[in-house]
Amino acid sequence: MQNDVALLGDGPMISVQALHDDLGWELKPEGLCRDDVCVLIPDRAALEVGGQIDAMAVAALLDRPAVLDQASGVAAIGAQRSVRKRALDDLQAPDFVLPDLDGTAHALSDHRSKKRLLVAFSSW
Amino acid sequence: MQDELADHNFQVIAVAIDENTEAVRGFMNGITYPVLMDVDHVLTELYAISNVPAVVMIDEHDTIVQPNWNAYATDTFKHYTGIDSGEQLDIIRQWVINDTPMMSVDEAKTAVGDLSAEEEQARLHFRIANHLRGTGDHDGAARNFDRASALAPHDWTIRRAMMPLRGEDPFGDEFFALAAEYNEAGRPFHGVAARSTK
Repeated sequence: MQNDVALLGDGPMISVQALHDDLGWELKPEGLCRDDVCVLIPDRAALEVGGQIDAMAVAALLDRPAVLDQASGVAAIGAQRSVRKRALDDLQAPDFVLPDLDGTAHALSDHRSKKRLLVAFSSW
Repeated sequence: MQDELADHNFQVIAVAIDENTEAVRGFMNGITYPVLMDVDHVLTELYAISNVPAVVMIDEHDTIVQPNWNAYATDTFKHYTGIDSGEQLDIIRQWVINDTPMMSVDEAKTAVGDLSAEEEQARLHFRIANHLRGTGDHDGAARNFDRASALAPHDWTIRRAMMPLRGEDPFGDEFFALAAEYNEAGRPFHGVAARSTK
């Protein structure tokens, strides 16, 4: 898996390939799709402009927060709000994948079927 | 704790909300559990974390039985906080060994408030700032750090975390100024206080 957050260094207009690689979704005739889930696109012309995809419109459609730093052109897109909602309201732990100190990726789900103590800390 | 409870189908996972791998490594002598680096603060977005330490207890079925508990679970900071970790470790043991969590399901479901839209955006600006810092665009980094601060003025994972990234001392004047500002605001945070109120 990869975390559902993205940083778009070249602005919010992205290729269909980047939509898949960076945001995890595919554009199909039936809508924006991932696995067997498709989200209807009410206004396709606002989403797909000149063969490029507007990542800010994708974020709005998927209920993901997004900001664009105009001066640098860098856009950041967060996770679907429903993931955090399920954590807070329904107590379903969101999965994530992060590197350890040597760069090896670990996911919360690597330790599924164990009791897990997640300790968020910092050096600051 | 990991070694003591290893026979109870238990795993500690530490996540540093931090970009300084070497500083984190310094904390971690002799640690046998995974220590993960969350440079982009993914966890603070997914779990609505606004300060560290934040301890989350997750059971065998991926259910959160204790959200965002501001527990230290170690005496490392006892000299500063005055909080003894003994009681906290007992609470963790009670859950791991006897399956008795600190909170009821209903209490856990209402224990942590959701992030505001501003707090969400602050996290995104923080990520952009950190990215621009890496590309050498220091003005751009400062602009986005400032934006993040304005959007989430009482969020330690924003305000204090950026101090070392801006050449400020997270244990110096800026820290005490932030602490005073935070106290003034009534110490708001997305989590459960270190000391059990029961």
